[in-house]
Amino acid sequence: MHYWVFLRDKAGMRLLSTAYFSPQAQARRQRQHLPAADSTDFPVRPDYVQRVRALADTVTFVSRWFNAIACQATSAQAAALRQLPGVRAVVAREAIDLAPASRPKQVDLGETTITAADRQLARRQTASLGAAAFQKAALMGRGIRIAIFDVGFLGVDRHPAFQHLMHDKRIVATHNFVREQTSVFASGRHGTEVLSCIAGLLPDGTPLGLAPQAEFLLARTERLYRELYVEEEAWLAAAEWADRNGADIINSSLGYTNRRYFPEQMNGRTSLVARAAEMAARKGMLVVNAAGNDGDDEEWRTIGTPADGDSVLAVGGIDPDTYLHIDFSSYGPAAGRRLKPNVAAFGTVLAAAPVGYVRTQGTSFASPLVAGFAACAWQQNRKLSAMELFAKLQASANLYPYYDYAHGYGTPQASFFVAEVAQPIPRSTEPTFDFVRQDSLLAVIIRPAAAFVPARTLPLYADSVMAVTPDNATAPRLGREKPVRTATDTARTEDPATLPPTHPDYLYWHLANAGGVLRSYEVRDVTQRVILRIPLRLLQPGDVVRVHYRGYTQHYPQQ
Amino acid sequence: MKAFVLTYSLGICLGMSVLTAQAQRVLLRADVAQDTLPTNSGPNRTYFSHLYFGYSFVVGSASGPGADLRFGRSGELQAGLRHKVRLNQTLALGLDARYARLTYSLKQNDQKTVPTTTQYDREHLSLSQLQGEAFVRLNAGRRGNAIGHYLDLLGWGGWVMGSSHRYEQPATAGAKTQHVTERGLQYVQRWPYGVGARLGSGRYAVVGRYRLSSAFDGAAQGRYPELPRWTVGLELGWF
Repeated sequence: MHYWVFLRDKAGMRLLSTAYFSPQAQARRQRQHLPAADSTDFPVRPDYVQRVRALADTVTFVSRWFNAIACQATSAQAAALRQLPGVRAVVAREAIDLAPASRPKQVDLGETTITAADRQLARRQTASLGAAAFQKAALMGRGIRIAIFDVGFLGVDRHPAFQHLMHDKRIVATHNFVREQTSVFASGRHGTEVLSCIAGLLPDGTPLGLAPQAEFLLARTERLYRELYVEEEAWLAAAEWADRNGADIINSSLGYTNRRYFPEQMNGRTSLVARAAEMAARKGMLVVNAAGNDGDDEEWRTIGTPADGDSVLAVGGIDPDTYLHIDFSSYGPAAGRRLKPNVAAFGTVLAAAPVGYVRTQGTSFASPLVAGFAACAWQQNRKLSAMELFAKLQASANLYPYYDYAHGYGTPQASFFVAEVAQPIPRSTEPTFDFVRQDSLLAVIIRPAAAFVPARTLPLYADSVMAVTPDNATAPRLGREKPVRTATDTARTEDPATLPPTHPDYLYWHLANAGGVLRSYEVRDVTQRVILRIPLRLLQPGDVVRVHYRGYTQHYPQQ
Repeated sequence: MKAFVLTYSLGICLGMSVLTAQAQRVLLRADVAQDTLPTNSGPNRTYFSHLYFGYSFVVGSASGPGADLRFGRSGELQAGLRHKVRLNQTLALGLDARYARLTYSLKQNDQKTVPTTTQYDREHLSLSQLQGEAFVRLNAGRRGNAIGHYLDLLGWGGWVMGSSHRYEQPATAGAKTQHVTERGLQYVQRWPYGVGARLGSGRYAVVGRYRLSSAFDGAAQGRYPELPRWTVGLELGWF
């Protein structure tokens, strides 16, 4: 059996932070006015570790953050561990969940040929976040250190998409927490794809993510085909490692759901990884996590953990074809009716595969797009604390202050951070609609000035517009995504008709109670000015109707 | 209940009873209360029901000579519905209702006495049963809304709703093989019962059952040796 042995104290322990932490880690704490070290950074008392080591079969990990020792022991040994001085609790943790993770039927190592449609998708996945504004301001993540926790980074050391990282030695450290070694490039393609959505390049230099100049810490924390609770332990170990090595941002495109937990346990306090992620945020790291791929799973549907943490930026997925929630992206709210996901990005992307490039789906790839975005934003203003940046990332999103449980605040926009070099911020200060109270109805009517629909370029044939996302868009569990094949892969069309390059002007509206918890929400295509009529009898005292259209958000409070 | 609707909603009021102006296209709709309804049904929730299938081999030997079986061809096919009530993380109670077809394939040898001493090319005794089973489930380990690893201690009983004795006779004039089926056997036990145990993980389980009742009824009990009491096999949950 596996156990956590939680200890009572760290009496007598101290830490020379300059010796323990890397210069980058020290600088991060200084910038955010955090203490150079606190008691959670102090080492675990060696006498306690020694006693546990003497009694248990194996000690697998010692956590400074939780003042705890992970070990393997028999139940008799566990009983003896409970009697040791300084032991607060001994908690059993199940070592193995026999249900195998889905294994891809065929291993698609990627395509070496990049079609025009692929290239277009690559441009749009960054353009949707306003990448051009960051590029114009020379914000590409320089000086920001991003830790990625994943199942492995197969071929990163050889792939042309990452040669700039290898050449500049910007993969500053790697660690395989599954095998306790430094090699992470030998297996697991998922991390390769995730890394590419932050810093990968196409052969023509087109970036696949927003932070090709960032530095990276790559950690393997997941096994390929088995689900083990020890993976959560590895996540914690990796977070402590990332902290020590000066990570500014942690990207974790991983999540744990119904094999281990119930939806009501997605409260940010139950799982070890959620608590570890919260601790990482306290240490000044921004934790960006994929919301999950369970949106179309009726048994789960909500976000996984650690995306459930309040201080974790949970990233949902949107469909590149519609700029709306993509079906598999997990919905909020989290337990306690807390807003999740926080923001959203493309859930279908072009990514670097171990050989070549591949289209793939999942919130696993929305998360690194936002992590790269966060790196650029932080580069622009290094004085921000992690949670200030968190708040600004939400505020920069295209729907803010509107929100719902499918898109969060929407897609972050670079122009929010670099307004002086960017195009106008899409958020309008001019009202685009009015609430009109009628006898028994509350109507929303679009103003004539906002009713102009710009002309669009027609494709040669209407049916030549090809969807990026297949109709039956589904994604495996987080961390197990597979490449997708769409019509464009087989057609190899060299000049596909363009899909909408920018966010269409939908009308979003929600009905919230006095506490801001949503009762319902909707997105509508706008085809006429009288867009919405709500019977007043549906509104309870304190309810708020909030509407967003063309960058303008207004709310109607029911008295 | 979220809906991603690409058709025109034509002014209908769905769920939220919001009046929709004509020809408005609702692209995404969610009713949060409906979507987040607490549920008490699921693999590790209070109630859980699912179908299952199983096949068990008859194992062991008869209590005396005269009823040797062809092992591997003697077994019980089952299909049923299982209801489970969770008491806590480690303990649950359950009830099964199932159809079971038990077949004894009789070896043809000189000692054979069941049901007659006559030897054929092939010979089977088959019992179609409706069975009920109650079990106590002991779960091991922490898990979410998943079945997990478990041990079931079970007791079962059934009603033999149909019985048959089938055999193939050697060739006779005008026929290559003669198949004969006798139904409504008076000598088989109508109300079998027994105990057992099941060791499972997720949808898969290994199950062993021991029949406490006699295989034969009335005077046949003294006439025939008792047939093997054990069946051991696999079950597959369908959920």
